Amino acid sequence: MEPEKKKSSSKTSSSKDKRPKDKDKDESKTHKLSLKGSSRLVAEFFQYSIHTILFQRGVYPAEDFTAVKKYGLNMLVSADDQVKAYIKKIMSQLDKWMVGGKISKLVIVITDKDTGEHVERWQFDQQQQQQENSSSASAATPLFAEKDKPEAEIQAEIAAIFRQITASVTFLPQLTGDCTFNVLVYADADSDVPVEWGDSDAKEIQNGERVQLRGFSTANHRVDTIVSYRLGD
Amino acid sequence: MSTAAVSTPKPSLRQKTSKTTVNQGGDRFIPNRAASSAIANTGSSKANIPDKKKKKRSNPGISEGSMEAAQNEDASTAFEGLSILDDDEDDGYSRPSPNTVAYQDSLADVCGVSLKTRILEFKPAPPESSKPVDLRQQYNRPLRTAASGQARRRIATAPERVLDAPGLIDDYYLNLLDWSSGNQVAIGLERSVYVWSADEGSVNCLMETSPDTYVSSVKWSEDGAYVGIGLGTGEVQIWDVAESQKIRSMFGHDTRVGVMGWSKHLLSTGSRSGLVFNHDVRIAKHKIAELVSHTSEVCGLEWRADGAQLATGGNDNLVSIWDARSLTVPKFTKANHKAAVKALAWCPWNTNLLATGGGSYDRHIHFWNSTTGARVNSIDTGSQVTSLRWSPHHREIVSSSGFPDNTLSVWSYPTLVRNIEFPAHESRVLHSCLSPDGQMLATAAADESLKFWKIFEKRAGTSAAASAASRKADMAKHMTIR
Repeated sequence: MEPEKKKSSSKTSSSKDKRPKDKDKDESKTHKLSLKGSSRLVAEFFQYSIHTILFQRGVYPAEDFTAVKKYGLNMLVSADDQVKAYIKKIMSQLDKWMVGGKISKLVIVITDKDTGEHVERWQFDQQQQQQENSSSASAATPLFAEKDKPEAEIQAEIAAIFRQITASVTFLPQLTGDCTFNVLVYADADSDVPVEWGDSDAKEIQNGERVQLRGFSTANHRVDTIVSYRLGD
Repeated sequence: MSTAAVSTPKPSLRQKTSKTTVNQGGDRFIPNRAASSAIANTGSSKANIPDKKKKKRSNPGISEGSMEAAQNEDASTAFEGLSILDDDEDDGYSRPSPNTVAYQDSLADVCGVSLKTRILEFKPAPPESSKPVDLRQQYNRPLRTAASGQARRRIATAPERVLDAPGLIDDYYLNLLDWSSGNQVAIGLERSVYVWSADEGSVNCLMETSPDTYVSSVKWSEDGAYVGIGLGTGEVQIWDVAESQKIRSMFGHDTRVGVMGWSKHLLSTGSRSGLVFNHDVRIAKHKIAELVSHTSEVCGLEWRADGAQLATGGNDNLVSIWDARSLTVPKFTKANHKAAVKALAWCPWNTNLLATGGGSYDRHIHFWNSTTGARVNSIDTGSQVTSLRWSPHHREIVSSSGFPDNTLSVWSYPTLVRNIEFPAHESRVLHSCLSPDGQMLATAAADESLKFWKIFEKRAGTSAAASAASRKADMAKHMTIR
């Protein structure tokens, strides 16, 4: 559950058998529910982000999207079976990693089909509350929300991000030509990796402009949004 | 490859979970947490090298043929010893040498790359977009679609006025309705021609034929002073409407004259025989040209406004376009229609554009370039086209139809979008004509009624006049000619 702790144990190899196995079990039990719920929330946010970006940036034609009510907004999600299946596949793996706390970043890269150049990069930084200091250091780290942060407040924060993503089309450069997209994940080195996923470079935008957008936080996660894009020539 | 880990043979109780995922390992550089921490163990690992080598020989990961039982046991303990350190690593992962690890660590440090994470890409290619997307179009989409905005004006679907037209002959090939430039409507009802003044609302009977024949066509001269009347006998009469007096009779056709058209002093008459005659109404020997093209009854005839071209349509399904300067043969003969062509209309804003509509088997409106003879557009209306009228104010054309719905349809041109279609009569619409101001359409149908439709209303600015007219219309919503 908590990679940091494991790492320390493997570093000092002599103390490896000092770790009480029972305690390990207990920890995962006590925080499982809230953590799972939070992970699911973040994963869902990622899913809607992908749909929203695909719509807003014209990766797929507007007719392929239908509006659904979510976060108090009309969210546009793809109605195309292939696109839906593709995103579903990504999400099913992402969910597993999220629950395992293996993910630090999710990146959506928009690439020009003709030149192969990466033109836009949406990065969602995800930090997960470490469990060992969850009780003691929560006051010291305002990064994460209070345990009793109301769900509605989180939803409002997420809605604000989507509003920003939608609004960002006003400053983002016009995407010309056919574009495609890729999903990258920054995962812990020890993550289980299914066949569909493989190592990649960061696909950074060369000489790109970066704009930090809003973020949101739950008791267990904090997500920040950054869009980088190629400057107009 | 040698492993850098310290291996103290020790039985482990830890169960390895079987993993379904694929590991990337071997000689590829994969940042790895355990590897980066291996530097700390470098010294101790060296001390154990001889011991290690011995064990490695029998490591199942590096097979060396058959294994002895003793070695096998040894190997399993070694393996477990390795795996206890390795417990969050994949099974077959072989570690880089300490030097490599140190190099990688320093390299990673310089590059600012964390060896603790790996960047994973979802490898399958995303589905192709069904069509290219132009974001400019997407962002600039109008709030309302173009059709519902300016282009789509409100068209009144209720008649402004309904008049009875008893005795109107239900014959597709006749042309019994015309509206003059002097705002008078002439209609032929069996043996009589009535003139209804749209200004005053008064009706008077202009003439009545002898009992052996009937009125087969009426047509106002361009100045609105005279009306040409074709009869079933083939006689053509010209009447002065103000004086209610017949000016002359012109003979020549031996079959009924179903259609006529004026061009200044020229009156063209089309007959059932398929012949079209041009009469100069000023001179005694009136017949000045014989236009031979149609082999069956001529039911459509329309002069272009400038008098340079004449279009005729017949029951032989042909459309002929004539050059007024050489009438021996048609300039073009078009055989695209599959039924009789009665509906003909010249476009008021594009002199080269002719619209023609076919009968019940054809149902099409074709648009022609009368200079090149090319067909420029076509509409399948879904029903018999009985008449066509262009709007002088809007880029639109109205078509009247027969079976099955007896409707009027207003089409935008050149988009060919049907702006509106509404039922007009209870039986097929036979004739239509536009008012001199171009706003009102009069239709006569086999249900023996004459209806007036304000379908081409001018845009704002004429509202005062329009409201006055509609008030008048309310007062006399229903009246009888006879």
